[in-house]
Amino acid sequence: MAKLKLDKYRALEVLAPILGFLASLVVLLIIAAAVGETPGRTVSAIIRFTVGTGARLATVFSVAIPLFIAGLAVAVAFRAGVFNIGAEGQYFIGGLVGALAGIYLPLPRAIHLPVVVLAAMAGGALWAAIPAILKVTKGIHEVISTIMFNNIALALVNYLVNGPLSGRGEKSLEPQTYKILATALFGKLNAAFRFVGLNVPEHVYMDYSLIVAIIMGFLVWFLLFRMRFGFEIRAVGVSLDVSRYSGIRVKQVQIGVFLISGALAGLVGLQEIFAIRGHYTFEIASGLGFDGIAIALIGRNSPVGVIFSAILFAFLKQAGYGLQLYTSVPNAIIYLITGLMILFIVVINEIVTRYIRALRKKEAA
Amino acid sequence: MTLLKMEEITKVFPGVRANDRVSFDLKEGEIHALVGENGAGKTTLMKILYGLQKPDSGSIYLKEQAATIRNPRDAINQGIGMVHQHFMLVPPFTVLENIVLGMETHTTGVLRMEGPAEAVQKIMDQNGLVVDLDAHVEDLPVGLQQRVEILKILYRGAEILVFDEPTAVLTPREVDELFKTFRMMTGQGRGIVFISHKLDEVLEIADRITVIRRGQVVRTLERSEATKPLIAELMVGKPVLLKVDKPEASPGEAILEVRDLRQTGERGHPTLDGVSLRVRAGEIYGIAGVEGNGQSELVQAITEPVKLDGGEILLGGDSILGWDVRTRRDAGIGHIPEDRQRYGLLLPFSLADNLVLGQHHRPPFVRGRQLIDSGRIRGYARETIESYDIRTPSEMTPANALSGGNQQKVIVAREMRFEPRLLVASQPTRGVDIGATEFIYSELIAARQGGKAVLLISADLDEVLSLSDRIGVMFKGRIIKEFAQSEATREQVGLYMTGEEQNG
Repeated sequence: MAKLKLDKYRALEVLAPILGFLASLVVLLIIAAAVGETPGRTVSAIIRFTVGTGARLATVFSVAIPLFIAGLAVAVAFRAGVFNIGAEGQYFIGGLVGALAGIYLPLPRAIHLPVVVLAAMAGGALWAAIPAILKVTKGIHEVISTIMFNNIALALVNYLVNGPLSGRGEKSLEPQTYKILATALFGKLNAAFRFVGLNVPEHVYMDYSLIVAIIMGFLVWFLLFRMRFGFEIRAVGVSLDVSRYSGIRVKQVQIGVFLISGALAGLVGLQEIFAIRGHYTFEIASGLGFDGIAIALIGRNSPVGVIFSAILFAFLKQAGYGLQLYTSVPNAIIYLITGLMILFIVVINEIVTRYIRALRKKEAA
Repeated sequence: MTLLKMEEITKVFPGVRANDRVSFDLKEGEIHALVGENGAGKTTLMKILYGLQKPDSGSIYLKEQAATIRNPRDAINQGIGMVHQHFMLVPPFTVLENIVLGMETHTTGVLRMEGPAEAVQKIMDQNGLVVDLDAHVEDLPVGLQQRVEILKILYRGAEILVFDEPTAVLTPREVDELFKTFRMMTGQGRGIVFISHKLDEVLEIADRITVIRRGQVVRTLERSEATKPLIAELMVGKPVLLKVDKPEASPGEAILEVRDLRQTGERGHPTLDGVSLRVRAGEIYGIAGVEGNGQSELVQAITEPVKLDGGEILLGGDSILGWDVRTRRDAGIGHIPEDRQRYGLLLPFSLADNLVLGQHHRPPFVRGRQLIDSGRIRGYARETIESYDIRTPSEMTPANALSGGNQQKVIVAREMRFEPRLLVASQPTRGVDIGATEFIYSELIAARQGGKAVLLISADLDEVLSLSDRIGVMFKGRIIKEFAQSEATREQVGLYMTGEEQNG
């Protein structure tokens, strides 16, 4: 009986994002109609570019990989009430440190691959460490410091790639480092997918970063829900007062979770740097760290939720390209729709949460 | 004329009657004091008057007309103003800006300050309330900030002024000034409700005094018939019928020893002024006292690291001053906090998680230092729920789904099951129903029988008197008198609580 009721609550929780998504879709169709596109054309453009073919669908999942890692990084910090807005900067620095390990450390492949992953994590954690320490020792709010550190990171990376770390002699239009050694490059998993009957076309990147993402997702879930430190992370996120009262060392938790978040953010660039480009450049996709904030929010800061919201975000990104290519709806509309969707989901979430609390109260009474 | 009449006001919160058919009135030009312990229902009554709470029944008349007050705006529009204990001012704004805030004069959106400045100046002249209108509130001493609050409500045309413990934050000189202002305001026909538990001040300024206790009006006294011992007795009340069966105490060695603890508060006055006490194994040491005399600070100093000016706290002979909360808990200090919603429970977390909170980092709840054993936690929780009779659908129900009494049971059960050497119980029965209260009493006695040292802090004198083996009366940051249970009478302890008897 009790079991059944728990499932009912869970179903309600899952309902919220679906309703939010549908509501924002309606808004999209209205906007499209305003610029003269029929709902049919709009929907078909979206479908063709997202789920229309196996290759399109595979691309959505490929795009979702770094988004998932970014969402995970932000979510784990949010869980402790730490607002790490600095995933962007941590990702640029982490990516650079990882790339340097890939370029300058001659190691056998079996060692080199984990080393670059750990180096990227170390870089991200390092960049998160300073705002973390400022927060717990000086009380400087992490939102301010991490935003500033994003800018510092971008400037620093720009300087390094143009200056001391530039790969002189590499033939390219944009400043970049030397090429990453072959032993550190991420191979594709397309063959493995084919082995289980899924045909992922060669031009779609289903690379080792997927494995990293899966491992990290599992580790974060395990940390949050199976480990004492994760329990304390969640407790601190719910109430600083209760946590202090119960003896949790709040500052240690905040520093720890900040470093974990930074380390995860350091992994966001793996796919682009080690699988797609094979070198580091200032031109790697920016904004993923900020996407991570929205992804974490929609995924309710849970590792499982973040899987779905990352896929949703990837879907939206691809849908935007579809609209641009096949309709007269401007691509920028997709940003508007994304924003609206977040708003809808947050509001509906809140309503559902209150409803569930009321139900529970009745049940306990 | 009667400015205000509140009739038969009743307000029930889950498990507690905050106001039980309370009647209260205020005449033109009168200062009417409302006295009673914290939790007696003064604040609830005033919140109802100010539209912050809706009464379950009863009616309010303003100038002999029936009135409905749905929200503070209604209250303000009908001439009710309130000076809260914690000021509602915007510190970086100027005095004038704070006064007009919420009812600014403007011409198509452009602020006009000249008119209001004149009006405020007039109010200042009439009431002898002088403040520099261009000063920034954050630069003003507390007494002047309070003046700004008063100006704010006068500017809004208040005729009924409610002051919630206005003297708590003031120096004696500022109190004199405030009382002068009171007189000037009532001279113009306004009425003042003065909430306080400082009896000297009440006797000095009030025309009438209403004593409220456990949600009911005990009596309304004319100034001429009021004496300090009489008010004290009314506040403390007649014994209530909560029978506590308690075997003889057989105290052992001292578990907690507090020596000459000193602390300075934010406003530079001593919050702890040389507190010393000992609590032995197998005894309940109760602290009686009007709230705000250092009880909360004492509890804090025992349970968490705080800044102190001097003194020593020993647990079983070891100094604990440098220890953080976890170390103190691990060493055997259990704590039932004063404000359970804020400190006691992780409300969205399950009961199971809440029942191990504070010990969640230790075996048997973790294996190998980090791995949570959720099976064991749930089993432990089921056992605890069973043996402490906590009413819940399951151990996985979130804590915020439970009633107040059951939430408090969760905290008591948790702290008891950890088997502390010292249990600090702060206002353990505040806001809980009779059933839960009886349960908590029997648990405190069980703790004592189990050889634990229990430090009980309560604003409810009956509670302290019936549970404690020894009673310390706290006044102005010190224990001014200790009683054995057998020699403590309600009246005598009450006198010490109000500072009437000193070091007698």
